Amino acid sequence: MVELRGVRHRYGNRVVLDLEQFAVPRGSMVAVVGHNGSGKSTLLRLLALLEPPTEGQVLFNGVAVRGHAPAALRRRVTLVEQRPVLFRGTVMENLRYGLTLRGISRAAVHGIIGDVVDRLGLQPLLVRRRTELSDGEVQRVAVARALALRTDVLLLDEPASSADRAAAGALYRALAAERAARPLTVCIASHQLEDAYRWADDIRALADGRLSPVTPENLFRVDLPPGDGVKAVRIAGGGIEIVVMTDRTGPAVLAVPPTDIFVSREPLSSSARNVFKGRVIGMAIEQRGAGVHIRADLNGVELVAAVTAEGARDLALAPGAGVVFSFKATAVKVF
Amino acid sequence: MDFLGDGFRRAWGLLIAGDSEVFGIALLTLKVAVVATAISCIVGLPLGYFLATRRFWGRRAALTVVNTALAFPTVVVGLLLFGILSRRGPLGGLGWLYTWQAIVAGDVLLALPIAAALSAAAVQGVDPRIRRTAETLGAGPWRTAWTVGREARFALAAVITAAFGQVVAEIGAALILGGNIRGSTRTLTTAVALYTSQGDFGMALALGLVLVLLALVVNIALQVLQGRGGG
Repeated sequence: MVELRGVRHRYGNRVVLDLEQFAVPRGSMVAVVGHNGSGKSTLLRLLALLEPPTEGQVLFNGVAVRGHAPAALRRRVTLVEQRPVLFRGTVMENLRYGLTLRGISRAAVHGIIGDVVDRLGLQPLLVRRRTELSDGEVQRVAVARALALRTDVLLLDEPASSADRAAAGALYRALAAERAARPLTVCIASHQLEDAYRWADDIRALADGRLSPVTPENLFRVDLPPGDGVKAVRIAGGGIEIVVMTDRTGPAVLAVPPTDIFVSREPLSSSARNVFKGRVIGMAIEQRGAGVHIRADLNGVELVAAVTAEGARDLALAPGAGVVFSFKATAVKVF
Repeated sequence: MDFLGDGFRRAWGLLIAGDSEVFGIALLTLKVAVVATAISCIVGLPLGYFLATRRFWGRRAALTVVNTALAFPTVVVGLLLFGILSRRGPLGGLGWLYTWQAIVAGDVLLALPIAAALSAAAVQGVDPRIRRTAETLGAGPWRTAWTVGREARFALAAVITAAFGQVVAEIGAALILGGNIRGSTRTLTTAVALYTSQGDFGMALALGLVLVLLALVVNIALQVLQGRGGG
């Protein structure tokens, strides 16, 4: 549906995105994960046809878009930014904005807005102005404003970063309903991996502007062997095999949630099928809470485990220290 | 002190009596100011938006030129335009010299850089996400510009006020290009200078008060506009 080919995008002399190929197929939902500054937002802006890449091509339905895309083409794609903004005026006026631009009749606009407002629970906000809304409410209105346009492609940059769980759930359910009703193509950048795991058809990791086979969140591209149940899967570029429970075969993405990894200095006597010895190569305090991310090299494969600061202290973990990571086969998620 | 008091009393008398000369000069000044402000803003605001939002070769140089033009002396602008509009000048055929149109032309040249430079600064002050959001919701270039302009409306209103202030208060170009002809090209500023030099302090003061009143009305209008603004 929308694709980047041979894209190298620069801001000044700095290359912020370097992708040989990145395609979001029609009707699919692709999640892009990665650190802040990994290039996710730039990727979405290029896919949204808001800026042409410095080098390379953006293709829409297989046709290369040259220079700045005309409004008629841009109207088939819409982007909700990470920190979206509302225009001056009420929420209702914001919801109308893109619809009136498309020359949709007043009655039809009313119907479309009513539908999207019901789905995202925005009825109480309709007469409010942007200054009267919380960050989470602004985000919901911005998503509703984009959903109302019924574009072919919807791009969402951290759409639930300011939302509580209930609001995030409503948002993803609304997206799912929309996708069930029509072949909506979605690309979503998210830090919230649980949501990405749950709702996306495909997860891709970005690191320093490039597609990466592994992320701090422990995502691995693998080729699953045939057969049901327990499988040992070799991780590319490293000397370990991860044991997973799955009936799937062929190309897949494995995710090992950092919070599901037990960290110890010596192998534990347990039922965990995945036990790997290695060395700590980095430690980082989480932005929220008192957790510590322990990054370890396990025979050529990097994994990150999340432990409490107290746990890290008790184990006397420090860069260079020996460490053992253990996790159950059922803890490994397969996509 | 008597001299000042007498001046104020005579000024008040002229204003209360509705002196035809005072009001004739005020009306001409208003006409010139409105037309010149309108032309400079119609050209200058889009130019400012363009300079603020487009990336093109020579953009920085263009911004420097516009910003430098802000400090252009009014008499120099008047002098240059005098050469152009005089009978032997390239636009002498228009026959504009010593007409109110010539004053408008000079005022436009003085107010245009103000409109362009300040509106470029105003647009640059708008959150860039506003423009991107308008575009991603399907707005074309004009609608996007309108949306960004709405967000910068207070700053743009101040730009219009500044342009009006420049036009209504300048004297150099008006004197050189208009010639200060009674009933034809005599504006408030040129008249104040003339009556002061003739020793008619009351008349000069009356005209000065009208000038201040004009500036006051424009500023009050701006404040009313700002007061209406919501989120």
